[in-house]
Amino acid sequence: MRHSALSGTTVTRPDGAGGLLRSLRTQRELWLLCIPIIIWVAVFAYYPMYGILMAFVDYIPGKEIFQCDFMGLKYFQQFLTNPSIALLLRNTLAMSSLSLTVGFVAPIAFALMLNELGGRKTKKLIQTVSYLPHFISWVVAGSMVYLVLSSDGILNNLLIQFGATDTAIPFLTKGEYYWTTYTIVNIWKSMGWSSIIYLSAMSGVDEELYQAGAIDGLGRWGMVKHITLPSIAPTIMLLWILGIGNILNAGFDYHLIIGNDATRTYWDVIDTYAYRYGVQQGFYSMGTAVSLMKSLIGFLLVWATNTISKKLTDTSIF
Amino acid sequence: MRKASYIKKTTGGTVFDVFNALFMILLTATMIYPFLNIFAISLNEGTDAVRGGIYLWPRKLSFANYAYVFSNESLLRGAAVSVLRVAVGVATGVFGNALLGYIVSNRAFYGRKFMRVLFLITMYFSGGLIPTYLLMIRLGMMNSFQVYWVPNIFSAFYMLLTSSYIQNLPESLFEAARMDGCSELRLLVSIVLPLCVPMLACIAVYIGVDQWNSWFDVSLYSKNGQWDNLQIILYRLLNQATALQKMMEKQRVAAAMKTLQPLTVRAATTIVVTLPIIFIYPFFQKYFVSGITIGSVKG
Repeated sequence: MRHSALSGTTVTRPDGAGGLLRSLRTQRELWLLCIPIIIWVAVFAYYPMYGILMAFVDYIPGKEIFQCDFMGLKYFQQFLTNPSIALLLRNTLAMSSLSLTVGFVAPIAFALMLNELGGRKTKKLIQTVSYLPHFISWVVAGSMVYLVLSSDGILNNLLIQFGATDTAIPFLTKGEYYWTTYTIVNIWKSMGWSSIIYLSAMSGVDEELYQAGAIDGLGRWGMVKHITLPSIAPTIMLLWILGIGNILNAGFDYHLIIGNDATRTYWDVIDTYAYRYGVQQGFYSMGTAVSLMKSLIGFLLVWATNTISKKLTDTSIF
Repeated sequence: MRKASYIKKTTGGTVFDVFNALFMILLTATMIYPFLNIFAISLNEGTDAVRGGIYLWPRKLSFANYAYVFSNESLLRGAAVSVLRVAVGVATGVFGNALLGYIVSNRAFYGRKFMRVLFLITMYFSGGLIPTYLLMIRLGMMNSFQVYWVPNIFSAFYMLLTSSYIQNLPESLFEAARMDGCSELRLLVSIVLPLCVPMLACIAVYIGVDQWNSWFDVSLYSKNGQWDNLQIILYRLLNQATALQKMMEKQRVAAAMKTLQPLTVRAATTIVVTLPIIFIYPFFQKYFVSGITIGSVKG
């Protein structure tokens, strides 16, 4: 029995096995509503989790996983000894580490600069505009990338007009440019949206702190350094830990839309590889093994970073 | 916020303010410029636009691109699928997550914790692309509309949003209704839902934008093209040089449309796909913060 402080009446919350039976009787209606939900979550969330086991067997569609030949870690081994893995890892780590450094700092810098801007309305307007790229689909973003960066695109037009280059620069067809364009487009698309959480942490800072800082002789930069930044430090740490877990996620939609055969050696990442082999060519077990390995490494990295962060800064996500 | 009087004015500070303002204006311009440019191109005559050099204003104004987009059969069908996706996806998703949130916020319900944990686990673990893909095939959802909404009815993330909102409603409300013999479903529909309209509107926007923007699941499951939406058509216009030709062969093209070019048709389609988003998202800004905070703390 529990006492509800709000209404002053008792709320029955039966405990134990007898409680379950009683609940099935008295709360039958709620349980009935739960049935379709439980079926849904079992089919669409838990059954695919069970499907991961196909990474350990030679899966043939139409058969049950336990009816297929057990392969152990063969597919994992096959992937790890695959000659193309070096290239995949290079591309994955190059693009994800660019996102984790430049892409991670950009929204923080944006939030800090926006916070220094005077005028509520201007700030609000800039913020609203900065969200826009987040809400458009990757296909639309891709359409704009083609428009700006293709050999007869706006950027090349401008560069030629101002004499910066004689011939068009092949931003989209030369592999060397791929990582840079990927990083810039990603920042363009996500910076405004990612800054929301920092801005909301900044707006929570007590105004009196700044007043006290002024009395102690802090200038503008001093206030940013000693008051604003420390106030968002836990948020930065939290997002950093989560970001580490994404180190093997180096984009997917973008590569399928912007990547082409000429630039493949620069964009083929673990996810696109698993998709190509696992879905398009039908090597289901192999593709699942690759994805599983990727998730496990991501999880281990988050756990390790979290442990270190807990020790050093007292910030943790679990 | 901090233009308060207690901050000393210095030359350095003023210089910084000027540069900061200039930088912000420049940044905002780069955010918005691709949209303006693509809009200008979509309003330009095709053969003229290919020559390049259109920045902010169309050089040879023409509505042929839009006329084409709004008369092409596959594009119109794609638009209908897109709209249907949003309508069905939002209706089922909002109701589903409201129901789920209502169940797991009922403190007296014995199965509350069980249901909550059942969904929270799905936030951290998932089967991934291939097992999900094979499941959809197995369920016969290939080339069907159901694959767009049935797998998206419930979500742990929206469950957290709805349940935390419903939990903050006064408990006496529920007790009074239950005392009067109101059934749970009726309580949800006629008492709880009307009180949650702002939060439900926010979820509706999230789900609606997601549904509108989806293209990858279409490329996976709409193999015969019957349920292609606008995004996947635009994707093909971008990635297959012959896509526009194929589409034009299917219908007799009016004389005014002879000047059509992939570039301008693409631009017009992009604008049609983007406009609904531009008009909707600014109105729900104030809810974004709470949504993001819940998402990042618990996920």
